Amino acid sequence: MHLIETAGLTRRFGDVTALDDLTLAVPPGITGLVGANGAGKSTLIRILLGLLPPTSGTARVLGYDVASEGPTLRQFVGYMPEHDCLPGDVSATEFVAHMARVNGLPGDAARERTAETLRHVGLFEERYRDIRGYSTGMKQRVKLAQALVHDPRLLFLDEPTNGLDPAGRDEMLDLVRRTGREFGISIVMASHLLGEIERVCDAVIVIDAGRLLRQGPIADFTAVTGTLVVEVEGDPAALAEALRCAGLRVERDGPQLLLPFEGDAVLDRVRDACADLGLGLVRLERRRQALEDLFRPLPEAAHAGA
Amino acid sequence: MPGPDARAGAIYDLGYRAYDGPRLGRAAAVLALYTFTLRGAFGIGRRTSAKVVPVTVTAFAYIPAIVQLGIAALLGSRIEIIAPWNYLGYSEVPVALFCAGVAPEIFGRDLRYRTLSLYFSRALQRTDYALAKTAAFVTALAVLTLGPLLLLAIGNGLASDDLPGYLADHWRELPQSLAAGLTIAFVAGCGSLAIAAHTPRRAYATVGVAAWFLITLPLAGILVAIGGEIGRFAAWFSPFDLLYGTALAIFGRTPGADSIQGRADLPLGTYPLLAAAHAAVAALLILRRFRQVQA
Repeated sequence: MHLIETAGLTRRFGDVTALDDLTLAVPPGITGLVGANGAGKSTLIRILLGLLPPTSGTARVLGYDVASEGPTLRQFVGYMPEHDCLPGDVSATEFVAHMARVNGLPGDAARERTAETLRHVGLFEERYRDIRGYSTGMKQRVKLAQALVHDPRLLFLDEPTNGLDPAGRDEMLDLVRRTGREFGISIVMASHLLGEIERVCDAVIVIDAGRLLRQGPIADFTAVTGTLVVEVEGDPAALAEALRCAGLRVERDGPQLLLPFEGDAVLDRVRDACADLGLGLVRLERRRQALEDLFRPLPEAAHAGA
Repeated sequence: MPGPDARAGAIYDLGYRAYDGPRLGRAAAVLALYTFTLRGAFGIGRRTSAKVVPVTVTAFAYIPAIVQLGIAALLGSRIEIIAPWNYLGYSEVPVALFCAGVAPEIFGRDLRYRTLSLYFSRALQRTDYALAKTAAFVTALAVLTLGPLLLLAIGNGLASDDLPGYLADHWRELPQSLAAGLTIAFVAGCGSLAIAAHTPRRAYATVGVAAWFLITLPLAGILVAIGGEIGRFAAWFSPFDLLYGTALAIFGRTPGADSIQGRADLPLGTYPLLAAAHAAVAALLILRRFRQVQA
């Protein structure tokens, strides 16, 4: 069964078309929703949550129709918006417990799960203080906690690392990955940062200007390519020359040399050439295609295919 | 010698557990929002500074009732200056302060902190949200408008020398107080929220609500005095004059010749009707606002 199915989903804001005839089927797991700012990621999530009606088209989430079965469906989904959404004048405990009750959990269960969820996201003593005094990182954790507190089957995260420093970003991504892998909650995570998607997600949906650009397992996007990357300590020009003499096609890319990978013999040649020239070999690996390549026009893609 | 208890030093990571319990759905969501808002209206679960305004103002609203009961206890219950039917005349200021101070926070904090998208992405519908919050504020306001009336009615009964006799004469005061107190809370509450719901800015909302109560009061007085045949209808549109007239109608009293209701000389029965119309318009404005507002 698919978690999310949309058919011809379109949303216009006046003259602007945010989503353009989007037809999707998303399987369970951690799915990255990638696109530039304004590509329609948030609009799609907001339509799937019933916060925004589509101009045309239909959507089903967890088998429920978004338009007609919204309240039932929303018991089983969690949402972490991109923007600030926490009141400043209550404590995290008070607010998350309130949100659990709004999600239909009885009082005792709400309190118990609030404590568990806040511990899971890494909020301890500070959870009794007013939210207004929290750092951005702590606020992001509370936002995640309120989305998780009712144990949803599907979690929508809109730019969960927004505003975080590198350490906070790592922690948040780790938290998202654990939430998805260990607890079996399916996640749709929107991000414009491809690196984040690559680290966390099983599958990727790429949208651009409201249209579906590509969709598939992350492995398809980061497959090993036919290009070998060589990096040496010292002058790469001499090595390039030596390899060309040995009949290999070599290209310079800054400090790196790129050459087509044609069997293990190529690796031996490079090793021997380095040994002959007395150069220290720093890197010898087959390049992986990166998600970035999706948005990068031809030259790199040509390499990847070479 | 027994070894140290292995369990004593162990830290158990219970981890994240799935929740298999009941999910109570939409009705529970509405109730949760109602309770949370009602607690918030009095600053319960908030910092001390958030309690100061609502709690003091609520105390002010009870002072006339307590004074009257004190007089009755000292001088005998026949001396009735402050009664349920004219109580609003003594509690106008606390009611207006409560509305102007608390109503802006009911919707304003969700608009300001953008919490609406969290509510609307749950089992609540937009109408549920607006109704739950409105009901919570009306309940909070009823603590000020109904509570003292009940205190007076019951206190007077207990202070009288002849309780059965008192009950026989005055039993009507209880349902009348109930009706008057709830009507005042409903009209003043919905009206204040209808104004406050339209701005996330606390200051604007406070000024708007205060203006609705306090600017209309002298304005209606002037219009009724000099406006002739048309000006006298102004008594319908100043909330305190309207609600005082409604209380008079509910308790079956005739307005004093000097009061604005007496001078306007409109049929007393029209006041409850106009009060109902005010509440209905206000409720529609609130619902319309939250059907349209962006989450």
